[in-house]
Amino acid sequence: MTAAHEAATGSRRDDYEQRVHVYEPHRASLPPLGPYLREFWRRRRFAYELSRTTQKADNFDTALGSVWLVLNPLLLGLVYFLLVSVLGSGGKHVSWVTTLGRILIGLFTWFFAANSMGLGAQSITSGGRLILNQAFPRALLPLSSTISALLMFLPSIPVYVVFYLLGSRLDHSATALPGPSWALLWYPPLLVILAIECFGLAMIFATMSVYFRDTNKFLTYLLRIWLYLTPVLYGIEKFTHHKWALYLNPMGPVIGSITRLWVEAAGPSASLLAASVAWSFGLFFFGSWFFISRERDFAVRL
Amino acid sequence: MPSVSEQLIPDDVAIRIEDVCIRYRTSFEKNPTLRQAFIKFGRRDGRRRQIKVVEAVKNLTMDVPHGTVLGILGANGAGKSTLMRAMAGILPPTEGRIVVNGRVSTLLALGVGFNPMLSGRENVILGGLAAGLSVEQVEAKFDEIADFAELGDFIDMPMRTYSSGMYGRLGFSVSVNMNPDILLIDEALSTGDAAFKEKSIAKMRELVSEARTIVIVSHALALMQELCSTAAWMHKGELVQTGQPLEVCEAYMKFLNVGETAVTLEDV
Repeated sequence: MTAAHEAATGSRRDDYEQRVHVYEPHRASLPPLGPYLREFWRRRRFAYELSRTTQKADNFDTALGSVWLVLNPLLLGLVYFLLVSVLGSGGKHVSWVTTLGRILIGLFTWFFAANSMGLGAQSITSGGRLILNQAFPRALLPLSSTISALLMFLPSIPVYVVFYLLGSRLDHSATALPGPSWALLWYPPLLVILAIECFGLAMIFATMSVYFRDTNKFLTYLLRIWLYLTPVLYGIEKFTHHKWALYLNPMGPVIGSITRLWVEAAGPSASLLAASVAWSFGLFFFGSWFFISRERDFAVRL
Repeated sequence: MPSVSEQLIPDDVAIRIEDVCIRYRTSFEKNPTLRQAFIKFGRRDGRRRQIKVVEAVKNLTMDVPHGTVLGILGANGAGKSTLMRAMAGILPPTEGRIVVNGRVSTLLALGVGFNPMLSGRENVILGGLAAGLSVEQVEAKFDEIADFAELGDFIDMPMRTYSSGMYGRLGFSVSVNMNPDILLIDEALSTGDAAFKEKSIAKMRELVSEARTIVIVSHALALMQELCSTAAWMHKGELVQTGQPLEVCEAYMKFLNVGETAVTLEDV
């Protein structure tokens, strides 16, 4: 190294960039994971800022923007509530507050998952310019989608809590909402499990979109069917005789556990918890592998 | 201190390109879709998708020492931009190896900014974060970047309101002010006006005097001769000639069968 270069770079050397980069051929294989994860972790703030600023550009950071974000699943919840009430099979009597409560928490949570997948599916194909111009761990883009979905989900929590507290006072029948309970402490860890799963799914759909640009269109139908197969509009007890249908659904155990938490004040059973964690980490690891092993191909295909 | 990296690249070399080939497959359908894949699945002739392999860069070997201003010239489709992307780590080589010693800043043909709904300020911060800087580091550089780009109040306006010249100025300003060891510029100087061009060239000279390395792709031959210390001429993915900018430009123009006119010298 020349003296001039040493002098020039000496003062600029810092720890935020590895100095020597080696670019070599690959075949659908993983890049060296150590440096990848280090770079990914160092730039995590990018994923957050990208979500935050995009929300801002969409005016979701304003008070009315938040109202809109809540209003959409809220109104849809009412539609489903009417549907379920009208088409209700006339089984054992369940308080309307409970039915509506379950549908609302189920839908709010479902929207988080669905938004994460929907935004994730577009994250790479719409990030073309950035991807063609800069080298960085691409997994930050689907991560940003999951963060966006989470930011869109957060305003619905206080709305739900208010409904929950009021609802449990409105109706004192045996089947009413149970009100505050210790079981609700399970809520944060279950949300973390769900978020990890959502990130995994976002990576899977992001990769698929690069290879098939109309993935998002199909995703709309997939999500609609998936919603009906997941215990959102009905309780987890519907699966008593078909447990496999609950456990085979990646969203079944975790969303079922969340709705049960609020509606029955019961924590997840060991098998539900195990299935939730298994799906979550399984999809996260599969999604990471699927995405990261192909991400160096993205620049060519965009 | 000898290290693994020194075996890959000597300390005085900024970029080492070893026998690099870059091929990519393009299909005739612009955007592959599930619908197309489904419809074509029934075809029996074995050519469900028509695919053409493009050899953008062929067996290219080159060392770029620190402090060099390398100009790459060549006709459209010569593989210049592909090579730049490979040096930036965006496109992986199909064969061979590229070793880059230093922090790279890119100003590729598409320029800065990926969300036109966001303001220039937000785009600059996001770009810096994606490049691996911390928020504090980007903010510390922000004023310098904004001043250099001379955008005034536009810096806080959504980028969709920018003119192409403004885009170009901001892009250039970001890439030169990120303290790069290696600056890759791909046909990005043409958007600024004469005053900004002059300022850009002065800034690049300043970077070179600090022994930083610059690689420029441009069709403006006069600029290449003025700015570059070495020139490389690529044709159809192969390196035809490297050497003094004047010689290489002359050989290139002879090859193209054009004279030194205002059109060939200036990027119009």
